[in-house]
Amino acid sequence: MFPTSLIRSTVNPAEIAHFSRLSALWWDEHGEFSFLHKMNPVRMQFIREKILEIARDEQPDLSGNNPDILNGLDVLDVGCGGGLLSESLARLGARTLGIDASESNVAIARHHSTLDPRLSQNLSYRHTPAESLLSEHKQFDVVCSMEVLEHVDNPALFLSTCAELLKPSGHLFLSTISRTPLAYLLTIFLAEKVLGKVADGTHTWSKYIKPSELIEFFHKYRSPSQHPEASRPWITRLYGDGVPTRTEAEVRGLVFNPLQAGWMLAPRGAWGATECNYIFWARKPALESALDSIKS
Amino acid sequence: MLRSTSLLATKACRNTARRVFVRKISTSGQEQCDVVIVGGGPAGLALASALGSKQHTLGNIKIALVEAGDLSKVRKWTPEEGTFSNRVVSLTNESQAFLDSIGSWQYVEQSRTAPIEEMQVWDGVSDARIEFHSSELGLEHPEQGMARLTEVLNLQRGLLRHLQLIPEVQIIDQTKVTSITAESVDGGWPLVQLENGRVLRSRLLVGADGLNSPVRSFAKIPTYGWSYDRHAIVATMVHPAKSPLLGPNTTAFQRFLPTGPIAFLPLSPTVSSLVWSTTPELAAALKQTAPSVLARMINAAFRLPENSLTYIHSQILQAHQAGMPIQDAEIKGLIQWRESSCAIKENSAYSTAAFDTPEKLAGVPPDDAVLVPPMVTSIQPGTIASFPLRYNHAETYTGLNNRAVLVGDAAHTIHPLAGQGLNLGLGDVECLSRVIHNAVLRGGDIGSYTSLLPYSQERYLENHKIMSICDKLHKLYSTTFGPVVQLRTMGLEMLNEFDSIKAALMSIAGSSAPTRIRREGGSFHGEFGATALSLAATGFEGVTAAAATVQALTNLVRDRAKAQFDERGKGGNTL
Repeated sequence: MFPTSLIRSTVNPAEIAHFSRLSALWWDEHGEFSFLHKMNPVRMQFIREKILEIARDEQPDLSGNNPDILNGLDVLDVGCGGGLLSESLARLGARTLGIDASESNVAIARHHSTLDPRLSQNLSYRHTPAESLLSEHKQFDVVCSMEVLEHVDNPALFLSTCAELLKPSGHLFLSTISRTPLAYLLTIFLAEKVLGKVADGTHTWSKYIKPSELIEFFHKYRSPSQHPEASRPWITRLYGDGVPTRTEAEVRGLVFNPLQAGWMLAPRGAWGATECNYIFWARKPALESALDSIKS
Repeated sequence: MLRSTSLLATKACRNTARRVFVRKISTSGQEQCDVVIVGGGPAGLALASALGSKQHTLGNIKIALVEAGDLSKVRKWTPEEGTFSNRVVSLTNESQAFLDSIGSWQYVEQSRTAPIEEMQVWDGVSDARIEFHSSELGLEHPEQGMARLTEVLNLQRGLLRHLQLIPEVQIIDQTKVTSITAESVDGGWPLVQLENGRVLRSRLLVGADGLNSPVRSFAKIPTYGWSYDRHAIVATMVHPAKSPLLGPNTTAFQRFLPTGPIAFLPLSPTVSSLVWSTTPELAAALKQTAPSVLARMINAAFRLPENSLTYIHSQILQAHQAGMPIQDAEIKGLIQWRESSCAIKENSAYSTAAFDTPEKLAGVPPDDAVLVPPMVTSIQPGTIASFPLRYNHAETYTGLNNRAVLVGDAAHTIHPLAGQGLNLGLGDVECLSRVIHNAVLRGGDIGSYTSLLPYSQERYLENHKIMSICDKLHKLYSTTFGPVVQLRTMGLEMLNEFDSIKAALMSIAGSSAPTRIRREGGSFHGEFGATALSLAATGFEGVTAAAATVQALTNLVRDRAKAQFDERGKGGNTL
């Protein structure tokens, strides 16, 4: 695992101060975070459909549109903010833990969840960086981290932390912004400077990460293991244009439609859809595959 | 794999745990509800049925419906054979398909519904006519007609019968809502106080509570609109069965008189329903007269030239103002005199001579019998009523951060000339139940503004379009101004020649619905129909605007001439 001195190292204090100042606004659906509120159903749609798709691959007898697919799963929401995603996950029956490096965010999230009696069952929050959960040897079926990656200091370390918080065969979901001129134009120039829809200074263009960089990371990434020869990278092969296998990883664009004032999940492989906001999914290799490779 | 066994095991535990939790909360004085529907009219009941028909939605949300009236009376409603209630709705194929998809339509007594297979609509001034036959509209099932008429009570009873099979949906009737308040904390939920002391804490509050919606006031949603200065007279009309040569009683008739349209809506071979919009004064006067006078006036309203009607109406009003409601014999004489002076032959379908000798109606019908409705011979006792007409549209359907949403008449009220009021309401219900279902699937908070946004986005413009078309039609036909009458006559006669445009017109009115209900998400079907009707509406708007301009110009010229004349007169005096 990681040396304890590295704990907290991915958390950027300036970023945390920025979001702490805004924390009271998390649940104002018309304010600062209205874009995130509108994005939430689309992220949930992707999470649910992807887990369902993989479950159907493995259990062909699974009913068509099993609405309870998340029920009973252990889910971690890293950088939960005001709890927008955590609440939705918990409502679908997932045992959800939301963590955030900002104490005031966690306080807001906790307070808001008390308004909804359906949430107290399986939703909890902790003010902690992801790294310290690792030292507690906690592992989850699903780890989500939405709109966080572009705010951390050491993305590679952050990614490996998320990866190791997953059980074998677990699902990792990340949504973030690509480092493209279009993304600068839309998320910083337009949203922050011109329209003022997002507080100035929320985003730093140089910290954005391209989908190809995430794929590249997981193409190389192997979980630390006592048998290095037994572990395989998360993404074993890439097709011609750098596209991973559907069962190992997937990138889908999140596109804002100003006419409907809403987000939509771009179809697979839609041209240019991942140039700005996108959602990424990858799956941790199962234990069996490790054993298989030992056998072979 | 890794969770398939644990998943099933925990699911059972969780479901029981959830139930226990809800019960525990309710002892603290407030009952937790996910959806509270205020209002047990057709829209409210349809929403409860629609939400209750989806197993997953039902399993995840707790639904309650509150109604001040006694719904058991509706549930036990058993009308006498051959009699019909005076409140009738025309359900488009789209509405029927929706009611069928939620499993409610089978509980609506089919023998008390009647298809509209043909429509005869004409201009009361110029007699320009448009005809719709369901066989010409390219419908999937033309034999089912373009719409189906039934009593509101039959629909409500069907919905209640369906709801009886869904005990999870709590129906609280004979209970008034005393107040609706918001919890004092930031982001608090609405608290619905009932007169019996119960308090429902509601994640989503649905206002299906009609024109003067208390939910709308709570949500601070402004509404705009106007009164038409028109009342609709409704009544159940009895008439002899149509001659077999004329086919079954499945033709709806509507004549646009300058005072408002009068509609004849078939319910059974010998019974049809009346919706007659006219001035409040005439409505009041007609309600005071003997039922036979109303029957005669209905027949005349479909048959006599417009100026003769205006004259007879003025006679009725004069008698009413003098405190002496006009007598049957006097009306009979007036109508006979107008008929003879307009050279209406006694053997024509336009003659009402057979009113007093119905046996003469038997035999071979005259050639023009298809153009007018059957002769009304009497009014079913106790069915004459009237209500004021309004145009009303809430400025938005979802409250700002107060978890309230409006459906049906609480959101919009329109002129009944196209019979679209309840269909718009059912369209709202279809959309809202779909939006709620999608939000539940994605773990959304169904009371949040964001979850409800697709509902407003999909319904507001859709409703506004149809509402403004009905409003424009009313305005277009309420004038006797020559050029406008000529233009609208030409327009209607041209429309009548184009089956494709007629089909498009009807598709927006919901008759081609069976395919429409299958749409996914928010995509619009029948785009062509929508476009054609928008064009039509824009056209009508243009015509009205042009008419107003012409009128204004005429006035201006007249005023100028008058002013000059006065000026000259003054000049003469000083000289």
